[in-house]
Amino acid sequence: MFSAQSIAEKLAALDRRIIFLLVGIVVLIPLLVPLDLPVVVSRETRDFHDEIEALSDSAVLMLAIDYEPDTMAELDPMTLGVLRHCFRKGVRVVALSLYAGAPGIAQRLLEKAAGEYGRAYGEDYIYLGYNPDWSGTMLRLGESIKATYPKDQWGTPSVDLPLLKNVDSYDDVDLLVCINGSKYAEFWAAYAQARYGQRMVSGNTAVMSVFIYQYYNTGQISGFLGGIRGAAEYEKMLGLPADGTIAMGSQSCAHVLIVLLIIAGNVGYLLARRAKRKGSI
Amino acid sequence: MHISSDIGIWIAALGTIAIFSFLYRENPVFRFAEHLLVGVSAGYYLVQYAHSGLIKKFWYPLTAGGNYWLVFGALLGAMMFLKLNRKTRGWGNIPVAFYVATGAGYLIPSVMKSMVLLQVGGTIRNPFAAGNSAGDAITTIVIFVGVICTLVYFYFSARRTGVVKHVSRVGMLFLLAGFGATFGYTVMGRITLLIGRFQFLLRDWLGVGI
Repeated sequence: MFSAQSIAEKLAALDRRIIFLLVGIVVLIPLLVPLDLPVVVSRETRDFHDEIEALSDSAVLMLAIDYEPDTMAELDPMTLGVLRHCFRKGVRVVALSLYAGAPGIAQRLLEKAAGEYGRAYGEDYIYLGYNPDWSGTMLRLGESIKATYPKDQWGTPSVDLPLLKNVDSYDDVDLLVCINGSKYAEFWAAYAQARYGQRMVSGNTAVMSVFIYQYYNTGQISGFLGGIRGAAEYEKMLGLPADGTIAMGSQSCAHVLIVLLIIAGNVGYLLARRAKRKGSI
Repeated sequence: MHISSDIGIWIAALGTIAIFSFLYRENPVFRFAEHLLVGVSAGYYLVQYAHSGLIKKFWYPLTAGGNYWLVFGALLGAMMFLKLNRKTRGWGNIPVAFYVATGAGYLIPSVMKSMVLLQVGGTIRNPFAAGNSAGDAITTIVIFVGVICTLVYFYFSARRTGVVKHVSRVGMLFLLAGFGATFGYTVMGRITLLIGRFQFLLRDWLGVGI
């Protein structure tokens, strides 16, 4: 018969590597054997989708790919979703980055999505590359895109890019989409939206999502995606299930495990405390 | 299953496994991968910053575009290094002052509007405005009550008795709910990173069709 104290001691002494192994297993299995779990679309995701859906065929969307490899797992599905959404509709994309580690990611995703829909560089999309001084760039884009980025990522002068022929500031951009793993969405809201009235939506890592609700609530950000859950919801709305949807099975299983571990930890703590009290009497 | 023949994929996969080996225990393979990551990152960022800042933003416009006024900015930037020497430290304050003043000048108005004024406006809204659903009305009231109670919780100039005590306790509950939401999102983010690595190992490296 196990006493309360022995259970508490066992829980407290549990090797953390067992927990790592359990998390690894519950994440791995649903990837190999996909679970068809329902995805309920939240209002903020619906608004994000509807903002892009409402754009006309020849509209211009500015896509800020502001993240680096450490958050690729969460944000790549969002970026790919936006690009597929735009290229399917015929919306033209002006992509840029304010993170030094972003260009490799951006090039890969742009080429992948453009290849799927047969879109041409220069006409249907461009990539202006990385620009240092993020705050200055956000503000200066409101005055002149071509002055801020005299050349694109591959050295072509901006004035020679057909897409930028009649596009040179936020006035010519129909929607700004910021995919970021930091507080950049808040600063895009401050410098592009509050200063120039640029309509915008954002895709954020899960950790940063809690800070975006206040901007969504005030209407500065018209819709947003929060973490891989937001990506899965967006993929559902697009009817293009991809990595976000695949990840949700593992995500759900891992969450159940973590909840169980939290309960076990608390039970262990309470049992230990009770045993200690009994021992001290 | 088609295992990748791309050397880059193999390096990334072995690097991932080497980093994961830390979960078992600290070991030389992990340390090698860690140092490799730091070294590669430092090299990449040095080249990227130097090319983007010095070459693209200064040298090309100066030599090809004749933008000689950029020399002024370059000199200010170079003067930052004067702070490294005790004798010339005072001169280094000039670019710092310039940087702070221009930054404050062009950032404060936007930040004040977006992060203060509009946020205050977003807190105090009419829950019964036309077009609001019952859910919107409840959300608006909860936000208002939450902000007021949380502000009272951080008001330390009054004794925690009577009304202040109860209101601050409600504020604490809102804070706890906020921490819980943040924790939940953080767990989701961290698990997603693991999923991303597993997807890479299974799909890109081992060629498992997922």
